[in-house]
Amino acid sequence: MTRNKPNIWKYSLSAVKGIYDAYAVSMINFLRKPVTEEYPEYKRPLPERSRGRIILTRDPDGDERCVACYLCSAVCPTSCISMESAEREEDGRRFAIWFRINFARCIYCGQCEEACPTLAIQLTPDYEFCQYEVLDFVYEKEDLLVDHGGRHPDYNFYRHAGVTEKGDKGAHPDEEEPVNLKSNMP
Amino acid sequence: MPRLIIDNQKIEVPEGTKVIDAAEQLGIMIPRFCYHSALGAVGACRLCAVKFLEGPVQGIEMSCMTDARDDMVVSTDDPEARAFRRFIIECLMMNHPHDCPVCDEGGHCLLQDETVSGGHDIRRYKGKKRTFRDQYIGPFVQHEMNRCIHCYLCVRFYQEFTGYRDLAAYQIGYRVYYGRFEPGQLESPFSGNLIDICPTGVFTDKPARYRGRRWNMERSPSVCIHCSLGCNTVANARYREMLRQEARLSESVNGHFICDRGRFGFGYANLPDRPRRAEIGKNEASWTEAVRALANRLTISDGASEMKKTAVLGSARSSLETQAALAILAGSAGWPMPAYFADPHQSSVCRTVVRRLDEGLAVSMKEIERADWILAVGADPINEAPMLALAMRQAVRNGGKAGVIDPRPVFLPFDFTHLPIPREQMEFCLNHLIHSGIARQEADDAGEAVAGFYAQLPEEAEFEEAVREGISTLAEGLKQSEHPVLICGTDIVPLSTPDLAADHAHLLNRIKNTCGLFYILPGADAFGAAMLEASAESAFEDLLKAIEDGEITALMVVENDLIGAYPNRKRLETALDRLELLIVLDYLSTPTVDRADFFLPTTTVFETGSCFINQEGRLQYAEQVHAVGAPIRQLRGRSHPPREHRDEVPGGDPRPAWRAVADLVRALDLDEIRLYTSGPESWLTGSKGPFRFFQEKIYPPREGRILPAESEVAPFKSSIKKEAKKPEAGTLDILFVDRTFGAEALSALSEPIRRAEPAAAAFIHPKDASELGLSDGDSAILRFEEGDLEIPVALNNDMARGLLVIPRKPDLEWQTAGARFPRIARNRIAGVRKETE
Amino acid sequence: MWFLGFVILLIKLAAVLGALVLLAVYLVWIERRLLAKFETRLGPNRAGWHGALQPFADGVKILLKEDLIPEGADRFIFMMAPAVVATSALLLFVVVPFGEGFTLWGRRVPMLFTDLNVGLLYVVAISTVAVYGVVLAGWSSNSLYSLLGGIRGAAQMISYELSLGLSLAPVVMMAGSFSLVDIVDAQAAYPFILVQPVGFLIFLVSTMAEAHRLPFDIPEAENELMGGYHTEYSGMRFGLFFVGEYVNMLVLGSLAAVFFLGGWRGPLLPGVVWFVLKVLIVPFLLIWSRAALPRPRYDQLMAFGWKCLIPVALVNIIATGGLMLLFG
Repeated sequence: MTRNKPNIWKYSLSAVKGIYDAYAVSMINFLRKPVTEEYPEYKRPLPERSRGRIILTRDPDGDERCVACYLCSAVCPTSCISMESAEREEDGRRFAIWFRINFARCIYCGQCEEACPTLAIQLTPDYEFCQYEVLDFVYEKEDLLVDHGGRHPDYNFYRHAGVTEKGDKGAHPDEEEPVNLKSNMP
Repeated sequence: MPRLIIDNQKIEVPEGTKVIDAAEQLGIMIPRFCYHSALGAVGACRLCAVKFLEGPVQGIEMSCMTDARDDMVVSTDDPEARAFRRFIIECLMMNHPHDCPVCDEGGHCLLQDETVSGGHDIRRYKGKKRTFRDQYIGPFVQHEMNRCIHCYLCVRFYQEFTGYRDLAAYQIGYRVYYGRFEPGQLESPFSGNLIDICPTGVFTDKPARYRGRRWNMERSPSVCIHCSLGCNTVANARYREMLRQEARLSESVNGHFICDRGRFGFGYANLPDRPRRAEIGKNEASWTEAVRALANRLTISDGASEMKKTAVLGSARSSLETQAALAILAGSAGWPMPAYFADPHQSSVCRTVVRRLDEGLAVSMKEIERADWILAVGADPINEAPMLALAMRQAVRNGGKAGVIDPRPVFLPFDFTHLPIPREQMEFCLNHLIHSGIARQEADDAGEAVAGFYAQLPEEAEFEEAVREGISTLAEGLKQSEHPVLICGTDIVPLSTPDLAADHAHLLNRIKNTCGLFYILPGADAFGAAMLEASAESAFEDLLKAIEDGEITALMVVENDLIGAYPNRKRLETALDRLELLIVLDYLSTPTVDRADFFLPTTTVFETGSCFINQEGRLQYAEQVHAVGAPIRQLRGRSHPPREHRDEVPGGDPRPAWRAVADLVRALDLDEIRLYTSGPESWLTGSKGPFRFFQEKIYPPREGRILPAESEVAPFKSSIKKEAKKPEAGTLDILFVDRTFGAEALSALSEPIRRAEPAAAAFIHPKDASELGLSDGDSAILRFEEGDLEIPVALNNDMARGLLVIPRKPDLEWQTAGARFPRIARNRIAGVRKETE
Repeated sequence: MWFLGFVILLIKLAAVLGALVLLAVYLVWIERRLLAKFETRLGPNRAGWHGALQPFADGVKILLKEDLIPEGADRFIFMMAPAVVATSALLLFVVVPFGEGFTLWGRRVPMLFTDLNVGLLYVVAISTVAVYGVVLAGWSSNSLYSLLGGIRGAAQMISYELSLGLSLAPVVMMAGSFSLVDIVDAQAAYPFILVQPVGFLIFLVSTMAEAHRLPFDIPEAENELMGGYHTEYSGMRFGLFFVGEYVNMLVLGSLAAVFFLGGWRGPLLPGVVWFVLKVLIVPFLLIWSRAALPRPRYDQLMAFGWKCLIPVALVNIIATGGLMLLFG
């Protein structure tokens, strides 16, 4: 059995060529313009759906959308959302008396937005909110609440829910008049 | 015994078992809405459809309506059955609102689960949804009728199981409405179970409305401590606040359900004014400071290591651990052994109960449900132990007879015979009734002792016509009965009645081979307290006397509102004034706490694991639910929790009372180092304690009855009077009694219970009222020697004559009467007309 | 007069030492910027003008860091090893002529410290001492990574020492002297690189290995040995290794300038400027190599040194000798 002996000259030539190519490529790149984007001076425009700081939006009537159903806090993989729900004294509407997101723990996975049945909680492209103090990352409801509807300006949970917050039962377009208990008319 | 195959698994079940239960025994949970093991099957919801492949029945059938039979082959996940169930779900969801986010049931909603697991996710029906208007149905339950899926469970439970009629189904067809005719508080004290039983969010927990979902809760198996029955619950807490209680299935105690007092009575644990800091004098101190200062005060400075002699008063609501620790403290410090009942009547009655109850006599509530003849003596079940009334109702539903010998107006949600006999004549009536229900021959056949006892029973009795009729009905029932049960109250009975009831139970036991004896006791752990008192022969009366004589100058009160519980206010005040040192350990803010020289805050049953022995001698363990600390909501009100990092939990000072005792033992440098060096398992059995059942040293202990096989007391020793004692003319008996809502010390502090409780009123027989010139709604002013007591009166036909029944409400100063069972001359009662507009 | 000479010596020492260290420190920044350019990045450009203050920021950082000595380390050797590396690099500069020399107050001031007549031998000898620093650092750290790094460093440096020395033999032959001054003078007509391109290449490759620069950074191969012999070092001691490495680059650059590029000689510009420019050629090549080439395997490195470089260097010596005999 004879081993295929590499041709020493071919071998050396390819080595030299390899080294030459490496130097050539790096020199070509040396002469190119750097591709670096210099961050604070230049801010790359982010897509609308990029996931950054979380907000609580309002419905088209200007009322807060969040009904504090605890779904976002349940789905949150880092348990950074906590809240407590209560009945609003004026109209009996369910709302969050406090709503807290610990951004120091948040991983911006967007599952809360996915879970939110009222489209209240939304992630925005804003990511620039560093703090020196870890407690400053704990955002309360007043820090989170904005005065617009975010990505879904038209949705109103209570128009589809089938429960009343204001007014009588059966007031929604998809509902019949309430059943009259004291009548036998069909 | 039919043998069948379900999902390729063979099983053999007793005759009459439904297929749904047979599957459950195999661990296969067939979906269901209307089926409930306590209420049976009606086949209303059609969800439990399964496919019968072979055997006597074939095709799609309801598994809750089909008895298991031989050769059946059942498939629960046959495609056809699945499609059928999915279709049912889709139909049920047609009118169901889209409101899970704002519905409190979401998270533990059966409809939600079945919808998701059934695979129905898109609503195909495009029509309009049916709606209903909701009703106010009281402070416990929130009504939201739109969510209803018409499974009928609520009405079946409410009407059939609890026997109340005010929640019913109205209208027909798909417009069926479950509610009251008019909005108003539900009458049943078991209405809270609607919350548990409703498969969707029609009935939800009102006090805990919106406070958290099931997954947010810290949940632990607990035991209700609002009466002596010890019903099993699941306690739910969130953010260090007790929010909700649910019934926990216990085959032998409460079954599937609990009463509203137990369900909503936990509010005392969350009170904002609950004392959470130790106090020296009136100054707040840290726990260690307070214990050290207390130890210094208890050590007499001039007599090197001698201790100030201290009387110790425990409580019937404390855990077994606390009660035992107190006994160890008193024993090792050389103090008189602790007493546990402030009320001398309770003390001696409970001791009798503990001495007499044994395995041969005691019955659980489950066994009461199977009884065919029940006689309650001096008991008012719906007010003193509500779940007992429910158990009795099941017995009556199964064809049993029930009677109550009690002077009070007794209401029970089933047909029963009430014998409104004055308190002094109850024993006589009982003796006569048993005599009438047993033939002489039967007694003679049962042996000499029985015959001798039987011979003493009065044969003749003079009663009113109605009472005589009642007695003969009950006697007739007893003659035919095979499983009689005697229920004996302890709150208003004369001291000798528990003994007598035990003797009668023995009598019936010898004759019928089976007779249960069921006592009602005044407190969640009254049994343990009475065991300790009985073994140490201690009593608060003796301690009080020693205080009055100046022999003892210090008093330690543990989890007991002495001032509220002692029936003679004046005597107690005088004694307390003589004290040099009053030490109070408690988790409530009570008048006794206000008087304390030293105060140590203790934990509630929810903040520490603890044992309780219920009235039938059943040892149960309530697990810790949440950590000690002020509820987060109380720190900043309706706002977000504080934004700060802290080392210690705010309001986290309270410790279990037994731990406080252990700390004190350590500070006093007493011998009993076990108290603070090891867990309760090592010292609960205690050399001085009667808790032999802890010998196994398993802690938390196994649940079960801890009674002796046979009582040490020989039966049939009661003295029996041949003649009924005549009530004194010219005076009225006054009975201070328990109410379902508002009289029990702990639950009375709970906000929803306070809203549900009826206004305080004294019941009086109309004839007595007219003699006194009172009519319904008038106020009566009772002029006792120590002061006046004003209370509106309510007339009631169904009670004994010569009697005034007053609820023992915490805000009513009933202790001015000066005695546990006072009598008042008719001329000392003044009436005040109700103001009519 | 001896006194004046002493003062001038001190001033020269201070100036050269300061310039050398400053240049070394700036070489770090230059390397990072150049490397970034090779990778179409920007590199450190935040501190000062185009990041010109970056070396000082790094210096402050490294000075303020805690000086950790691992448990079980040979404390004395551990503390001395970085000094050996840094000092041996600095000592090399003693014999390097970096300028023409000038006359001050009637005194000839040569632009070098001392003109040893065995200067080249001195250079080879001192550069061998640096091996001790690496080996001792690796051994005294009481860490497996460090020990492996130290062993590899010793083997590699000793191996390439040979080819380094052999590549210089033709230079000595052509200059006829071991003195560095004489060698520079010998290149007055043309730099030796023109007649000794092979010798220059061998010198350059050996230089990379001596300075354990990529692709020959086997002793500190990050992805295998964390940091190699200086894994356990932190704070200023690590800084010494770091500075030593860059000083070494500069020294090797200056040797290349002296041996092959004609030293400080050049038209128009003053000698010192020419010298600095020539010195910087080698670091630039080293940085370029770092950007271009991957690290070889350890056995490949040794094989290359022994089987390729040394034979070629020997052939180069014989060829030079032959040609010198032929053309006189």
